[in-house]
Amino acid sequence: MNDISYIGEHLWVGQLGHFAIILGFVTALLSAYSYFKSTRNFSDEALSKSWKLLGRYSFAVHGLMIITLISVLFFAMYNHYYEYSYVFAHVSEELPLKYILSAFWEGQEGSFLLWMFWHIVLSVFVIRTSGKFEAPVMFTFAIAEAILVSMILGILIPWGEDAIRIGSNPTTLLRQVNEAPIFANADYLSLIKGRGLNPLLQNYWMTIHPPVLFLGFASTIIPFAYAFAGLWLNEHKEWLKQSLYWTLFSAGALGVGILLGSLWAYVALSFGGYWAWDPVENASLVPWIILVAGIHVHIVSINSGYSRRSVYFYYLLSFIMVLYSTYMTRSGVLGDTSAHAFTEMGLGAQLQFLVALFTILGLGMLIYRYKELTNPAKEEELPSREFWMFMGALILLFSAILITISTSLPIYNKIMSYFNPAFEGKVIQDPVDHFNKYQLWIAVFVSILSGITMFLRFGARNWEMQRKKLLVRVPVFLGLSVLFTWLSSLSIHYYSWQHWVLGTAGFFGVISNLDYIFDKARTKYKMSWAALAHLGFGMMVIGTITSGLNQKHISTNPFVFREIFSENDVKKYVQLIKGQPLFSQGYLITYVQDSLVERERYYKINFQKLNDSMEVVETFDLYPHSIYENDFSKVSAFNPDTKHYMGKDIFTCVVSLPPSLMSLEEAKKVEDSIKYTTYQLALNDTMHIEGLIIKADAVSFNPTNEDYAKHTNDAGLEVVLSVQDTVDDKQFKLYPAIGFEDAMLYNYPAAVAPAGVRIKLGEKMLEKYYSPDDSLHYQDFTIKNGESFEYKGYTFQLTGLNKSPEHTNYQKQDGDLALGAQISITGNNMKEDMEPVYVIRENQPMSVKSYSPSSGIHIRFSNINPQDEAFSFKVAMDNRNAGGNVVLDIAKDIPRNDYVILQATIFPAINLFWVGSILMMIGLLMGGLNRYLKTRK
Amino acid sequence: MNRSLIISFVLILAGIGVFISASKDVSTYANFKQAANGGKVKIVGQLAKDMPMTYDPQNKPNEFEFFLTDEQKTVKKVILHQPKPQDFEMSEQIVVTGELKDDVFNASEILMKCPSKYKNEEIAIKNEVSGL
Repeated sequence: MNDISYIGEHLWVGQLGHFAIILGFVTALLSAYSYFKSTRNFSDEALSKSWKLLGRYSFAVHGLMIITLISVLFFAMYNHYYEYSYVFAHVSEELPLKYILSAFWEGQEGSFLLWMFWHIVLSVFVIRTSGKFEAPVMFTFAIAEAILVSMILGILIPWGEDAIRIGSNPTTLLRQVNEAPIFANADYLSLIKGRGLNPLLQNYWMTIHPPVLFLGFASTIIPFAYAFAGLWLNEHKEWLKQSLYWTLFSAGALGVGILLGSLWAYVALSFGGYWAWDPVENASLVPWIILVAGIHVHIVSINSGYSRRSVYFYYLLSFIMVLYSTYMTRSGVLGDTSAHAFTEMGLGAQLQFLVALFTILGLGMLIYRYKELTNPAKEEELPSREFWMFMGALILLFSAILITISTSLPIYNKIMSYFNPAFEGKVIQDPVDHFNKYQLWIAVFVSILSGITMFLRFGARNWEMQRKKLLVRVPVFLGLSVLFTWLSSLSIHYYSWQHWVLGTAGFFGVISNLDYIFDKARTKYKMSWAALAHLGFGMMVIGTITSGLNQKHISTNPFVFREIFSENDVKKYVQLIKGQPLFSQGYLITYVQDSLVERERYYKINFQKLNDSMEVVETFDLYPHSIYENDFSKVSAFNPDTKHYMGKDIFTCVVSLPPSLMSLEEAKKVEDSIKYTTYQLALNDTMHIEGLIIKADAVSFNPTNEDYAKHTNDAGLEVVLSVQDTVDDKQFKLYPAIGFEDAMLYNYPAAVAPAGVRIKLGEKMLEKYYSPDDSLHYQDFTIKNGESFEYKGYTFQLTGLNKSPEHTNYQKQDGDLALGAQISITGNNMKEDMEPVYVIRENQPMSVKSYSPSSGIHIRFSNINPQDEAFSFKVAMDNRNAGGNVVLDIAKDIPRNDYVILQATIFPAINLFWVGSILMMIGLLMGGLNRYLKTRK
Repeated sequence: MNRSLIISFVLILAGIGVFISASKDVSTYANFKQAANGGKVKIVGQLAKDMPMTYDPQNKPNEFEFFLTDEQKTVKKVILHQPKPQDFEMSEQIVVTGELKDDVFNASEILMKCPSKYKNEEIAIKNEVSGL
């Protein structure tokens, strides 16, 4: 097969890339081995150091190779080298340059590269700051990198009769992975075009969400690596001080990544919410929760010496869960339980190995050292901060376990059906309800603990004083919380006692942390980052009640979350006809118009808020839009538009369109099913059809039909119709038109959507008004330059002669002698310039006719008499006073296509959720910065 | 008494409690026969391609009707109380959540498994051969 020498391929790109992969893999292994040796010979300083340097240098080469590979792949994508299968699958000519990064990490290979990239960036800082922990910490990095590179290695290992494929190489040629007849053509590259980026992913969220999320994922290796190093070196104190800022950074980055995904879902996708307990979402949330639990016991451990085992356990587990979630989202095991996962690539076994290896390495090491990890002999005091922080972390762990078990159901099914092929897979009937039900209590505990624990001291110092404080504060805050919950219940609904408890707990968290911030702000401002994060959590909890539990659809009335109405009665979506306002929830909603911008069609929806006396108090427009497939063949997705207020959001999304607007195929089906009947109608006569009285007013040769104006037509014709709609009692005009260009006819029908009537002009109309040349009666005129003649009420003046004339029907050839006659025509309320052309080609005279569609004048430049300097013209006119009837083709029962199906939902106080979660992240990152400055001092 | 022992005990109890109560949330996919017993179920099946599909957005934007063949090969009418999902015809497998009422399955939710649009596609040939 390779005996064809293909044209236009850039093989060096792939060769360089492949070389980088191989060398990158080998150097990662070498680095891991060297760092291993360095750690093993820790006591022999010189030997350890030389191994460490080797590890460091080989890791540097590894990093260089990965960056080379990324550059090479990016270069190939930028230049559309479709001979590479990854390029072919992810970019296309039409793809705007701004989405090339999104296309890069759309696929599994690209996102693995992104992950490795962040490891490499982070490693630069880790090597600089980790001191004596460098070797064992970087050992973990190098092992992880080696396995990640193996995901894109793309080598085949013979295994019995089959071969096992290790990884999927992004530099593979298209013709190596596909067998298609096209590759028999040496010049196949000129025949193919790329598939391009999925239109759903063509937005800026896809540009920012993955890098941040992967920075978060990548950074979770640092706590793991430090914990592993601590266990390995049997050093359980120093690394705790060194690594706290890393963990805070990691939780901040991962949290921001998750939050961006949630924002993306809410702001730009048609999900109509910010969290759906989808397995892919859960998979990134669980490591974050465990990491946050880890941070709490980490702080306990630094300050009191307790909870050491927990620190190790949480940090090891957090990274293991990152790997586990990678396995879940990338192996295809989630199947139909998730709305969004990567396409499967057959990496399942390799991913399982990745999870297993780090689980065994991490937890094995923990078990090995378990006995040596001792707590202080005395148990924590009951009223001490360390005890309740430990309890908080335990609750977070409990939450993570619950989510993980539920999310892992597909894996449980897979294992069970392996042992018992008849096993019927289990599913959670109502996932959102299931998760909310249990996580509600976690949120209650966390809110309350975060409020109280801040007022306790490590080692229960000053307990007598603190007790007095607490005895006052807790009852007061609790009372205030109940009061606030009650006050808020006047405008939002708490549907069950559980939600009352949750609301009260949320307010308690907010109030007590606010109090802490104001109380301690002056003296211990450095500690306020924790209170800030806890305050955010409380706000977020309240936000979920207001915006989740109390969301309501504008379209109809019901509150949807609770089943007050039977589920089927909840009509979430509403049909909105263009120009017909709908009144609901105090808003007058009108679909005004639509407009196309690049591949997106925007639907302008006007909202008018009315007060009790039906006066407009506010008006605004929203533009939900639909996105077309790359080739415009159909609508591939809908994106929402949202009006943001301080206190609420109004979310709109078009969810469906008339079938004929959804795809070309449907449009054709609809068009084919339409039956037209021909009617003859005399000017100023009327006809009745479907409750419409139609009168033919006039025939015009300058069509004003909107669609007509969008095309270039050589000539056209339009009939002006006055229509009276007897059903709606409305009067209006219609302008059906017909045009032609290069002998092709184009119809521009007019429609009355409510009556389901469409009117187009019969093609006979054109023949009637535009006479073929041979049926014209030309009249001859001869004049000199500047003179004029009269014809049928028009004055024709020869104003000049043009030696290089241009005319659509004349193409200049060498040796032509051509002359254009510039004629200005006036009369009958019109003025027009025409330029017929006289040509002598190879001694043969020719005349190129000029024609004015609006007046129907045909004019030929027929002769030149050089002696008298006289010029002859032939003039004729279309027979437009033919009178008689207007020919109309009319179809009835046309499905209307002037509406959208809209979802409009109010999310009350959704900003509480966003502000709360952002505060949490600010708290974490502030804490990280604070800690970094302290550690580096 | 040792406090960590009490904590572990409470947590394990809580865990068992949650596990027992949560096991009610979980069930296997049902078929139409089981759905006849009433209650909300999830049914997995395929679109009956030879049967009619109706979506009349003009009059009933919230109702999409089609026929589903369950794993026992029983065919029944399904009314999905949502607009017609995109690429519905392309689905290989459908999971609907809802209740069977008067021999019609009223579904409130749908999940479809579609062949990846961007995977098994033929290599697209440019419309016009370039290189002129």
